[in-house]
Amino acid sequence: MVASTVAERGGAERVASRSLTTRVARAFRRNGPGYLFLTPWLIGFFGLTLGPTIASLVLSFTNYSLLEPPTWAGLENYHYAFFEDGDLRDAVGVTFSYVLWSVPLKLAIALGLAMLLDRGIRAAAFFRAVFYLPSLLGASVAIAVLWRQIFGDQGLVNHVLALFGFTGPSWITHPSYSLWTLVALAVWQFGSPMIIFLAGLRQIPTDLYEAAAMDGAGQFRQFYKITLPLLTPVVFFNLVLQAIDAFKAFTPAFIISSGTGGPINSTLFYTLYLYQQAFGYFRMGYASALAWLLLVIIAVFTAVAFLTSRSWVYYQDEAH
Amino acid sequence: MKHEISRRDFSRLLAAGAAVGTFGSTSSIAFADERVRYIWWGNPDRDKRTRAMVDLYQKKNPGVTVDAETYGWNDYWTKLATQAAGGNLPDVIQMDYRYIFEYARRGQLADLTPFLGKDLHMENFDKNVLQSGMVDGKLYGISMGANSICLIYSVDKMKAAGVAVPDTSKWTWDDYRKIGMDVKSSLGDGVWFSSNMGMQEPILQCFVRQRDKDLYTEDGQLGFDATDLGDYWDYWMQMQNDGLTPPPDVQAQDKNGPLETTMIATGRTVFDFTNSNQLVAHQKLSKDMEELAMVPNQSNGKAGQYMKPSMLMSQRSNSSVPDEAAKFINFAITDLDAADILQIERGVPSDSKVIEHIAPSLTSTEQQILKYLQLVATHVSPLPPAPPKGAGEVDKQLIPAFQAVSFGKTGVKEAANDFVNKAVGILKRS
Repeated sequence: MVASTVAERGGAERVASRSLTTRVARAFRRNGPGYLFLTPWLIGFFGLTLGPTIASLVLSFTNYSLLEPPTWAGLENYHYAFFEDGDLRDAVGVTFSYVLWSVPLKLAIALGLAMLLDRGIRAAAFFRAVFYLPSLLGASVAIAVLWRQIFGDQGLVNHVLALFGFTGPSWITHPSYSLWTLVALAVWQFGSPMIIFLAGLRQIPTDLYEAAAMDGAGQFRQFYKITLPLLTPVVFFNLVLQAIDAFKAFTPAFIISSGTGGPINSTLFYTLYLYQQAFGYFRMGYASALAWLLLVIIAVFTAVAFLTSRSWVYYQDEAH
Repeated sequence: MKHEISRRDFSRLLAAGAAVGTFGSTSSIAFADERVRYIWWGNPDRDKRTRAMVDLYQKKNPGVTVDAETYGWNDYWTKLATQAAGGNLPDVIQMDYRYIFEYARRGQLADLTPFLGKDLHMENFDKNVLQSGMVDGKLYGISMGANSICLIYSVDKMKAAGVAVPDTSKWTWDDYRKIGMDVKSSLGDGVWFSSNMGMQEPILQCFVRQRDKDLYTEDGQLGFDATDLGDYWDYWMQMQNDGLTPPPDVQAQDKNGPLETTMIATGRTVFDFTNSNQLVAHQKLSKDMEELAMVPNQSNGKAGQYMKPSMLMSQRSNSSVPDEAAKFINFAITDLDAADILQIERGVPSDSKVIEHIAPSLTSTEQQILKYLQLVATHVSPLPPAPPKGAGEVDKQLIPAFQAVSFGKTGVKEAANDFVNKAVGILKRS
C-alpha cells in the first residue's frame, strides 16, 4: 500500500524506467540461457560469416593484392566484370549449363530411385544406404582421382567402348566432353535429394492410390495425377537447394582440372574463376566483386523459382 | 569444399591458439627459447631431408627452436599470401625466383645485406648466383641451388629404337623433329616421341631468347610479339600433325605441376621437359633409365637457356628474431653437415666448399645432374630481367590459348594475336 503511493507520487518517468528494467530482466531470464547456449554459433556467425561478408562487400570496391593494403577503386571492378572480362563470360556460361543439366538430371534420378525404394522392395534399407553412399563421399579428392581413371583415354569407359569396337577420346580432358563428366559426377551424388523424396512419398496418403486404382487409373496416370502434384513442395525444396549448391560447385572442377578450368575454359566454374583471381593472381578486390555478383545471380534465380512456384507447387493444407 | 577448408582451418586455429596459450606463456618464463618459424614447399623426399636438417640445427644450437611448416607447391602460395595479409609470415621463407620480386617489392622481405660477414658467410658462394637474389640492388634471397630448364628422355626407349641422341648443346629444332621421325616407327600404340610443349612457358622462353628477345623487357613489357609466338606454335602444330606428339586430349592429361601426371612419367612419350634438379624425382617414377638434354637451338645457335636459382631462402621483414633467422639461413646453405643431408635435392649448391664436400657422395643420378649443369654452363645466356607483376597470370593464359589451337578451335595466327593482346591487357591492369 505504502509502496504503491510512493510509486504514484514518483511520476510517470520512474514507473516507465522501472518497468523497462524489469522487462529486460524478465526477457533475459526467459531467453538468456537460450542465447548462452547459442554463443558458440553466434560467435561463429558474427565473427566468421557476417564480418567477412561485410568486409568482402567493402573490398569489392578496392584493388587489394593481399600483400599490400587495399586502395579505393570505386566501381572499376564491377565495370571490368560487366564489360571487359571475356573469361568471366566463359565462366558464367559453363556454370549455367552445369546447373541447367546437372540439377534436373539429378532430381529425376533421385525421384525415380526413391519411388523404387518406396515400393517396399527387399532390403530397401540396404539399398538406401548404398545409394546414399556417393553423397557421403561427396566431391572429395579421391573421387576426382577415380573420375580421371574412369574417363581418361585409357580409362574404364574406353575399355568398355573398345569391346564394341569404338575408340573413345580422353573424355575428361576434351573440351567437348569435359563438362559432361562433371555433370555425371554431380548426378551420381543423388543421395540427399533421394532421401528427401522418400520422406515426401511416405507422406502421400495411400487411400488416394487405392481410390484411383478402383477408378481404373494406371501406374503412369497415378504418378502423373497423384504422386507428382502432391510431391511438388518437395520437388521445389530440392530444386532450390540443389541449384544453389550447383551454382557454388567448386571442388570437382578444381581437382579434376588441377585448378585450371581447362581444357580451354571448358570446366571453368564461376567459383573456380573467382578462386583463380583471388589466390592465383592476388586480385582480392575483384574476387570480392565476383562473389557479390554470384550472390546476386543466386538470389535472382531463387526469387524467380519462388515466384513461379505459386503456379506449380501445390500445398495440401492450402487447398481447402 | 567450403566446409572442409573452414573446418580444417578452424581446428588449426584452435591448435595454434592452444599452442600460443601454453607455449607462449611458459616459454617466456621457463625456457626463454628463441623460436624461428621456417616454411618451404616440397615433396616427401625433400620434406624428410629438410626436417632432418632442422633437427641437426636444433641439436647444434641449444635454446633455438625451429618451427617447420611445409605445403605442396599449389597450396604454398595461397598459404603464404594469406599469412602475409595477416602480418603473420614465417621468419624464414623458401622463395621462388618468380615470386621473390612480388614479395620484395611489396615490402614483405628483409634486405639481407646487413647480415653479410656477420651471421651470413657467403665468402665461398658464387658471386653471380648471389646476384640472382638481388631485387632493385638489395639482397632479398640466397639461392639454395642452381638449376636449368631441360629436356628429359628415356634412354631405354631411344636404345630400343636404335637412334642416337647427338651433342644436345648443338642440336636444332629441326634435328629434334628428324630424330622424332626416326624413332616414331619403333614406338608402340599410345606412345609418342615428345610431349607437346606449345603451352610451356619455360620452353617458349628459350625459343624467344634464341632470337635475342625474352618473355619480358627490362621495363616490364611483353618481350616478344605474335610472330614469335606463331612460329613457336607452328613448330609444335607440325609435330602434332606428324604424330610426334600426343593428340591434344591426351596431352591435356598432363596437369602442369605434379610430376606423376607428366607424359614421360606416365610412359606416354620418350621426351618431355623438366627442371634439372627434378631428374631425381623423375627417375623414381620411372622404370626406364632417364637422361637430361639441352633445349634445341635455332639455326643461329644462340643460347636460350640460363642458370636460375631453383629456390631461394628469404627472411621476412620485421622479423622478431632477425639474427637467429639469418644464422639458420647460413646453416642451411653453407654448413657441410647440413649439405650431407640436403645434398642436391634443391639443385646444385653454389658454395664451392659445399660442392667439393658432397660431390664424392652423390648417386649416379645426381652425378648426371651435375654433368648436365656443366654442359649447360658452356652454352648459357644471362639471367632474364625480373618478371613484372601479372607475369604469373600471363603464364596461365598460355595453356588455354595453345589448347584452342591444338584442338583446332582457332588458327595459329589469330590465337597468337589474341594471346599477345590479352597479355598486354593483363600487364597494364596489374
